[in-house]
Amino acid sequence: MRLFWRLIRQSFRLQLTYRAANLAGLATNFFFGLLRAAVLTALYGARTSVAGLTLQDAVTFTGLSQATIACLSFFGWYEVADSVYTGEIAADMLKPMGYFSYWLARDLGRAGASFLMRAVTMMLAYALVFDIVAPRTAGHWVLLGLSLLLSVVVSFCWRFLVNLGAFWTPEARGLIRLAFGASWFMSGFLMPLRLFPDWFVRICNLTPFPAMVNTVIEVYLGVLSGPALLRALLGQVFWIAILTALAQLILRAGVRHLVIQGG
Amino acid sequence: MRSLLDALDLYRRLIGMQIRSELAYRTSFVLGILAQGLNNLAEFATLAMILSRFEGIGGWSLREVAFLYGMVSAAFGLMDLIFSAFDPGTFGLDVRRGTFDRLLLRPTNVTLQVLGSKFLLRRLGRIGQGIAILAVAAPRVSWTPLKVLYLPFVVISIVLFFGALFIIGSTITFWTVESVEAINILTYGGTEMMSYPMHIYGRGLRRFFTYIVPAIFMNYYPALYFLDMPDPLGSPPYMAFLAPLAGIGMMAVALAFWNYGIRHYASTGS
Repeated sequence: MRLFWRLIRQSFRLQLTYRAANLAGLATNFFFGLLRAAVLTALYGARTSVAGLTLQDAVTFTGLSQATIACLSFFGWYEVADSVYTGEIAADMLKPMGYFSYWLARDLGRAGASFLMRAVTMMLAYALVFDIVAPRTAGHWVLLGLSLLLSVVVSFCWRFLVNLGAFWTPEARGLIRLAFGASWFMSGFLMPLRLFPDWFVRICNLTPFPAMVNTVIEVYLGVLSGPALLRALLGQVFWIAILTALAQLILRAGVRHLVIQGG
Repeated sequence: MRSLLDALDLYRRLIGMQIRSELAYRTSFVLGILAQGLNNLAEFATLAMILSRFEGIGGWSLREVAFLYGMVSAAFGLMDLIFSAFDPGTFGLDVRRGTFDRLLLRPTNVTLQVLGSKFLLRRLGRIGQGIAILAVAAPRVSWTPLKVLYLPFVVISIVLFFGALFIIGSTITFWTVESVEAINILTYGGTEMMSYPMHIYGRGLRRFFTYIVPAIFMNYYPALYFLDMPDPLGSPPYMAFLAPLAGIGMMAVALAFWNYGIRHYASTGS
């Protein structure tokens, strides 16, 4: 456990050093946020509220979805696959901790730094330009923090899982790209899931994707309460359990495969 | 004349080589096309679901937005196919690794060599998706011979427009080595922005994409003409026909900058 914490801290500090890259990324996120805010404003037109979301909620959504991109590594994450291809995995396997936990620790550190540099800054910049909503009570903030942490872990499990494809094929990048594509549409990243037709939302809810983005956004906006809120958070925990178990299972098979090939 | 024909022949052979090498991994190639096509189709499907819930955007129906979207998407795909090698992200890598230096040593035109050094056939997925959406939207247009004739010109203009942005982005990497994020805003942000009728944006954004980066001439004004829609901002009708001018102008600026960059190119030394 101490090792786990140290890895988190190291990875956190490493990510903090990429200041210029993070600033540039922030500019892109901000531009896309402005764009989507204009689109949603035009969509709402004269309406004040759609599916329980006010225009103010919708505009806040555009900021939130852009703020979480870096935290969740939403545009592609090939680190595990790359370590298989370069052979670095051999050294990582010798480390005195599980391969899954090793990467989880690194990813948590990275996400923490991204949270400070890309998520907090993004929402502050947004607050300057738009009249956005924010949680009002301490309890709300605590729930938001919990939900965000769970989001990062769900997203990590999914990314780790699809990266394992690299154990079997040298062309896993295409597969991983496809997997990321699916997560953009079904997670509520492009548009709040509430605004989609019911049948589509029901399909999405059978996947882990809403637990990555949609849940944390709805917790932030405060549109969930009581049992619905509890169900959403438990949903995140549920997907972490399922995906972790699956990842461990496939990882074991993958490692066996790798060793047979001679590493 | 002679040298132009030679150049075309060289280009054809370089591209042929790229296509053959891409087709060598057949499964990967098919997966690549599918991934591109599906991703873009899903993107449009989400847009369609949202637009039908809100019954259009800014006074435009789903079909009208689809026309705009299909036109921009097909043209961007075509640009991405032809100008693959000028993608600032990968071009920056070539500059950093010094692979670009190798091209400078060969006794033939550098621009042609860069153009011929990559040709990502899997972009056909996106082109196909754009054409399919355009075809679905086509019945909305009351076609005239002039419209039929003008559509390819608009598509080529958009290709030139985005190609110019790619070339400018790549030239900047001569100095910065890393790809510059601002160019991504213009290319990827630009395609998304141009997929919606531009009168929905605020004045600042619209001015920027009129006077600094002339995107509004490439999609919005031509679309108004094809769809016979009035401009809520009251622009004169001839604006629809400025796309080729803006496209060629952008490309001329980009090539001038590119040639300036090559003349002042100092390798990273790696």
